[in-house]
Amino acid sequence: MSLLSSFLYFSITIMSGGPPVSVSIESSCEKQVQEVALDGTETYVPPLSMSQNLAKLAQRIDFSQGSESEEDGAESEPKDREWSKEPEEEEGTVKFQPSLWPWDSVRNNLRSALTEMCVLYDVLSVVKEKKYMALDPVSQDPAANKTPQVFQLISKKKSLGTAAQLLLKGAEKLSKSVAENQENRRQRDFNSELLRLRSQWKLRKVGDKILGDLSYRSAGSLFPHHGTFEVIKNTDIDLDKKIPEDYCPLDVQIPSDLEGSAYIKVSIQKQAPDIGDLGTVNLFRRPPKTKAGTQAWHVKLEAAQNVLLCKEIFAQLSREAVQIKSQIPHIVVKNQIISQPFPGLQLSISLCHSTGEKKNHKASPEKPKPDDHLYVLEHNLHQMMREFHKQQLSSVVMPHPASAPFGHKRMRLAGPQAYDKSEISSLQHNEGLLEKIIKQAKHIFLRSRTARTIDSLASRIEDPQIQAHWSNINDVYESSVKVLITSQGYEQICKSIQLQLNIGVEQIRVVHRDGRVVTLSHQEQELQDFLLSQMSQHQVHAVQQLAKVMGWHVLSFSNHVGLGPVESIGNASAVTVASPNGEYAISVRNGPESGCKVLVQFPRSQTKELPKSDVIQEAKWSHLRGPSKEVHWSKMEGRNFVYKMELLMAALTPCP
Amino acid sequence: MGVTCVCQVPVAEGKSVQQTVDILHKKLEQLAAVKQGSFCVDCETYHATGNVSGQPTKLLYVMHNSETPLSCMALFEGGPCVIADANFDVLMVKLKSHFQNAKGHKVECRGSRYRYCDFLIKVGTVTMSSSARGISVEVEYCPCVVPGDCWNLIREFMASFLGSSVPELPSVFAAKPEGLFAPADCVDTMTQYLELFNKLRKMQIQGSNVR
Repeated sequence: MSLLSSFLYFSITIMSGGPPVSVSIESSCEKQVQEVALDGTETYVPPLSMSQNLAKLAQRIDFSQGSESEEDGAESEPKDREWSKEPEEEEGTVKFQPSLWPWDSVRNNLRSALTEMCVLYDVLSVVKEKKYMALDPVSQDPAANKTPQVFQLISKKKSLGTAAQLLLKGAEKLSKSVAENQENRRQRDFNSELLRLRSQWKLRKVGDKILGDLSYRSAGSLFPHHGTFEVIKNTDIDLDKKIPEDYCPLDVQIPSDLEGSAYIKVSIQKQAPDIGDLGTVNLFRRPPKTKAGTQAWHVKLEAAQNVLLCKEIFAQLSREAVQIKSQIPHIVVKNQIISQPFPGLQLSISLCHSTGEKKNHKASPEKPKPDDHLYVLEHNLHQMMREFHKQQLSSVVMPHPASAPFGHKRMRLAGPQAYDKSEISSLQHNEGLLEKIIKQAKHIFLRSRTARTIDSLASRIEDPQIQAHWSNINDVYESSVKVLITSQGYEQICKSIQLQLNIGVEQIRVVHRDGRVVTLSHQEQELQDFLLSQMSQHQVHAVQQLAKVMGWHVLSFSNHVGLGPVESIGNASAVTVASPNGEYAISVRNGPESGCKVLVQFPRSQTKELPKSDVIQEAKWSHLRGPSKEVHWSKMEGRNFVYKMELLMAALTPCP
Repeated sequence: MGVTCVCQVPVAEGKSVQQTVDILHKKLEQLAAVKQGSFCVDCETYHATGNVSGQPTKLLYVMHNSETPLSCMALFEGGPCVIADANFDVLMVKLKSHFQNAKGHKVECRGSRYRYCDFLIKVGTVTMSSSARGISVEVEYCPCVVPGDCWNLIREFMASFLGSSVPELPSVFAAKPEGLFAPADCVDTMTQYLELFNKLRKMQIQGSNVR
């Protein structure tokens, strides 16, 4: 191998005698790889040494054959050998024996390749001249190779058809899967929407239709409306176009008489002089804006349910209005119920139902009237109706023994406990919806009128100040207010007039601080007169309290004096106080109408004319109080009555 | 529910039952009592069957009072009493085999009801098979439930319009234990009515014998 490791040059001479071609050969693999380590280093098989190589070559020599041929036909053998050697020696400067030379086959192949190449080159050069050789295409076998064009067409068509079919099948599968996906999506949306709908509304399947129930029957209502709505699939959507934002895969169809929205308007007005224009209440407020997250069907169903409830309330109210006998009969006209809670006052309950978006063009240009709608009463009507529903189904009623009739639980005891009629009637609810709402309206009206009276008095009269503290916690039929009458600056001293007013349904009950209870009717004037009389009494009380503070002695006090001009509102009150040293006395008479009159009594010694008399011997009698003089109260300095009184008292109390 | 006293008023001489009732009504109206509708007390008799011969058949009386419209009282004479729901009548129909209805013995007392402050006065005609047998007067003093405390008051009030025919303390109250709180209830009222009805029934039988 060491001999072969160098480049070998050898030349081949051919008979035709061309220039010698040198071919360089390199052995592909110099050393054999014995092992490749894990880090990539290759371990080569160490090349054979000289002695090893010689031994290897020697092993190839067949010494036994050589020695045998020498013995027998030794002459022919060497002759053959020499003879085979000779042509080979003739062929070149080959030094090795041909059988031992491994490159022999390579040399032969290369030589034949060279021969071929030379021949080709010669042929091409001759053909190029075109004189002695010419290129001709090889004529095809007409019988074997020629096929008719029709066949070709058919075969091409068939192959194309097969390919097209495959492609079409694939495309079909693809389009089917896409369509299925979309259909699934749509179906899934419908199902998920249906699930959402079912979680909030009652649904049942009848045949192939899905029906729902939006009435309050399962909550205890006895209204005969069926309240059935139908759920329909919204399929008129083009999936190719963009799906609109408010698209919903399902739609609900509500009964035609529950379309639109409705509310019950309760209002109190002054009694209308003529009844001609009744029953045409159709003013309408804008429908409330829908919340962002709610579905269209939810809004629709809720509106329909509200309409149903309003209809039920109105039906109940009108039924009661016709059946229940009252002193002043209620009028039921079209969609309005009119009754008179107080004389001169009119309570109207009307059902305002607007269907769809059709606007009544007559109504819209009208100026919107000031809203006297009592929302509290409307809400109370809804609440009372729901309470009535609840009573029908209350836990007091269910569960109950199979043999007992429906009703309040206590009613079952009525038999065995031998309840008499009064006890039974106390268990049963006699008042209907209409009566309740009329009572509530009366109370609301009375309360607002009382507030108005007190406020008008407070703004009109400054001298005794009137304060009203309304209680936060009220009943539907009762409210209370505490009225304090005070003088500014003297609140701690003069706080004797404190009134607690309990405003009921038709009457106002006043509880005075000193324990008196007065019941006033609903007339506004009564309350006003009463408060005015209390204010005048306050002034006199204030003088009494002030006298205590100033050290003056109260000589007499009367809430209701019988002297002087007769007052039309209440009674006048009077007080007389004397100064600490007794020299002066102040008399005050205050009436609601006649105002206040203040007189001061002087000691005799201060009068201009001393009556001379023989009876009075000693001078000390001149210190007694004598005549009295009226004070020009309006000219007195002072912010209010009590302040003026204090100044007067201070003026009449000389410093020691 | 107050203390009730039921007594019988004898028919005035020379007058019919109706006329005597009218006289009583007039007296009450003169007292300024207010008429408040009508009342009805009835009694049905049932024979208890299935008991051993030798013992007298027990009579069960089922009574109704319009004052307690939803109740029904069943009592044995001098024995236990049951206050039940109005369905008791239906139950009696189901117990036909044990209690037989004596249809001819149904007694009714109907009349008008007056109210005078705390008193409730009921003047009624006792009829048995649509023939008037007598007049009953029931006076109830509503505020009190102890008979011993208000008997004198009731007696005085009854004397003001009944005149001489004022009864003694009813035996039901006399039988109550003294000193203990023993309130009167509807059972006492019904017992008194039952006694009255039985008395009237016996009277008429005697009367019929005479005739």
